Amino acid sequence: MNEKLNSILKQVSKPGRYSGGEYGQIIKDKSKVKARFAFAFPDTYEIGMSNLGVRILYECLNREEDIWCERVYDPWVDMQEKMKENGLLLWAHESKDNVKDFDFLGFTLQYEMSYTNVLNMLELAGIPLRSAERGEEFPLVIGGGPCAYNPEPVADFFDLFNIGEGESLLVEIVRLYIQMKDEGRYSKAEFLHEAAKTIPGVYVPSLYDVEYNADGTIKAYKPIYDDIPTKITKRIVEDLDKAIFPDYAIMPYTEVVHDRIMLEVFRGCIRGCRFCQAGMIYRPVREKSPDVLNEQAKCIFENTGYEEISLSSLSISDYTGLPELTDKLLEWTKDNMVSFSLPSLRVDSFTKELMEKVASVRASSLTFAPEAGSQRLRDVINKNVQEDDLMRAVNVAFDAGKTQVKLYFMQGLPTETEEDLAAIPKLAKDVIEAFYANPNRNRAKQPQVTFSVSPFIPKPFTPFQWEPQDSLETMKEKQSFVGSCVTDRKIKYQHHDAEICRIEAVMARGDRKLCKALELACREGFKFDAWSEYFDYDKWIEVFEKSGVDPDFYANRRYSFDEVLPWDIIDCGVDKSFLVRECKKAYEDQTTPSCREKCSGCGANKLGGERTCCPKRK
Amino acid sequence: MLSEKKITPGEKKLSLPMLDNPVTVRIKFCKIGTLQFVSHLDLQRTFHRVLVRANIPMWYTKGFNPHAKLVFGLPLSVGTESMCEMADLRIERKIALEDIKNQLNAQLTDEMYVLDAYYPTTKFADIAYADYTITLKAPNIDENSALKATSRFMLPIMMMKKSKSGEKEVDITSFIKKIEFESKDGCLTAKAILSAGSADNLNPEYIVTALRECEELRNDLSDLTYRIMRNKVYDGYLVEFK
Repeated sequence: MNEKLNSILKQVSKPGRYSGGEYGQIIKDKSKVKARFAFAFPDTYEIGMSNLGVRILYECLNREEDIWCERVYDPWVDMQEKMKENGLLLWAHESKDNVKDFDFLGFTLQYEMSYTNVLNMLELAGIPLRSAERGEEFPLVIGGGPCAYNPEPVADFFDLFNIGEGESLLVEIVRLYIQMKDEGRYSKAEFLHEAAKTIPGVYVPSLYDVEYNADGTIKAYKPIYDDIPTKITKRIVEDLDKAIFPDYAIMPYTEVVHDRIMLEVFRGCIRGCRFCQAGMIYRPVREKSPDVLNEQAKCIFENTGYEEISLSSLSISDYTGLPELTDKLLEWTKDNMVSFSLPSLRVDSFTKELMEKVASVRASSLTFAPEAGSQRLRDVINKNVQEDDLMRAVNVAFDAGKTQVKLYFMQGLPTETEEDLAAIPKLAKDVIEAFYANPNRNRAKQPQVTFSVSPFIPKPFTPFQWEPQDSLETMKEKQSFVGSCVTDRKIKYQHHDAEICRIEAVMARGDRKLCKALELACREGFKFDAWSEYFDYDKWIEVFEKSGVDPDFYANRRYSFDEVLPWDIIDCGVDKSFLVRECKKAYEDQTTPSCREKCSGCGANKLGGERTCCPKRK
Repeated sequence: MLSEKKITPGEKKLSLPMLDNPVTVRIKFCKIGTLQFVSHLDLQRTFHRVLVRANIPMWYTKGFNPHAKLVFGLPLSVGTESMCEMADLRIERKIALEDIKNQLNAQLTDEMYVLDAYYPTTKFADIAYADYTITLKAPNIDENSALKATSRFMLPIMMMKKSKSGEKEVDITSFIKKIEFESKDGCLTAKAILSAGSADNLNPEYIVTALRECEELRNDLSDLTYRIMRNKVYDGYLVEFK
């Protein structure tokens, strides 16, 4: 294999991403492991290597002496062609063994547009797509990650889904497999039944029949055994201080998207923006202690030599230990020429002190996400920030000599009017004006405001899960309207591809009937649909037509509060009644206070958790 | 989970005595196996992190964006392995050469590791030639393949060659100081000394391409796999460069 692979690698672009051999990769003696796990990221190496979740789970599985977890990525198009020419099957990064021969093939489902890559990778691996077509000789194909909260569009391709945080769940699944093999009572069917029955958080789609109403909506989910749960509750890690967190990193040789220390500060979000899936599915909030984080950062620095630390979480400025953590980090990062960066910031908590710490060694760009242009619409989505907050925040940045600001917005939010849309470029203009009004501004440079507007995509387990997306025409009209409002060269307008957002909406709120369309898409060679150069909207519409799927039914229909949703089989901790309440409040322009101010009774408390923010638990 | 001991990053490095002036140390290292696919640019980024992990007391530039001073010798093309890569490090604290080698090797893998660390007496600009072994494997290669290859290289070989000033047709044999072929069943080996450095440089892949394009060798080289190894570099007088 190696000689053949090496000679192919001389003929493809960026061969370094296929060669493996990175410092920090884990190699085990095959004869001493009982289960081999191929952990696949259904996109390129550069993107997959940047994912913190994969790194954590790689460590969790490899901590077990008799389990060997390896990485798998989707080879780029030129490499896929060479593989076919030379009869190579998809291999695992560490051992270069064929994925087909592993015990498990796990996919992390991070975004809906990677579904075609999942199927493409199964095909490259020589594994039948549908679970029903896979005999005992094929690996168990399992899925997890944020998209697994509505796994239905890909239900027919997976043997099992991992619902919630995988740290202990994934290990329990592999342990059950090893145990059943050791005891000589393993068969795929027996194992899947036993896992569904005994391991909380395991969803085996083949063990549930779905009945439909005449109008195409779902009538009911029927478990085929009475000893398996009727609803699968997500798993969480209760105490993040004690959770496994890798104190090293696999060091990529080639450039990857996030090539730095990634320090997960907390999970969950206290805010409850009504469009945001992450803000709901990662509840309850659980923080890590500043001391634990600081020691972990030092360890990772010593083991990697990275020159940058990125604090990672949703809404980082809501972390209660942020001043303490940044002070502790600064004690040693300066001497070691290490800088640190923060993800996009909330404008209401952005301060001079915070910015000075972030910019202590190297400058980094500033990004804010007001999400909506008008105050009314920001109230509808429960963003809970005022225009004054934004102006104060950008002035802090301008005081410090910054000239570049990035702003993120959404279009097509429920109740949006033309006025709300026009407020977006207006806000960008106001930021430019604030720059010139600031006496401490950097006079040597021109200001630059880049604002990016993405179409609203209704997502499962959000208060807006029932809301329709704008039609394709409306999305495009809105894009040209916003574009026409920009006349200043100091303002740059970017927008997402409306066609991709539409297909994403179909997948996000899809049911099992979409499996047929995805299978056909794979047969027709669809891949890398998140990459606009490979995405072909017309071909998607053709595939939907051929497989009897009406995209409007999923993207543009207002789902009713009392219909059975495809993802009702999953319990993400947040009650449906809470989501209904929040949706109704949106239409009354009513905001909901953050979890730290007042408990709004979302229900996620029942899952437990240490160092949460909920006043009810304190 | 965290270990009990509290770590102070950079402690090992920061406790070494400062030198009066920064000193340059040259390391010679190999880059073999799958690491042949790591590009020159990627290698630089990799090495910066290796030097930090290894606690090498690097001297940092004093500008707005401080960075360690690290200069590589002759760039190696992707797809070529090497036993003779070199890089100059600028260090600001007292550290034994042996420690530099050992500390670095603790942070490297068996496909890239330091062979030697020493104080340089030469400049990378003096590199003029490099010595390669090209091993070609194909089922139809036999004793006669080397003869065919040798006679091909006695005549001019016109090829399109990329250089800084653009692409133009040149006789690649003018960049070949010496080339010898040997062959037996299934394996053809070329030992070549080629121009190398910033003035004239010939990527050894051209030798492979020339052989592949040779009519007499077409059958011999079908279903070819090959590897290229850089063994040594020389100065303009063909004295080994150290």
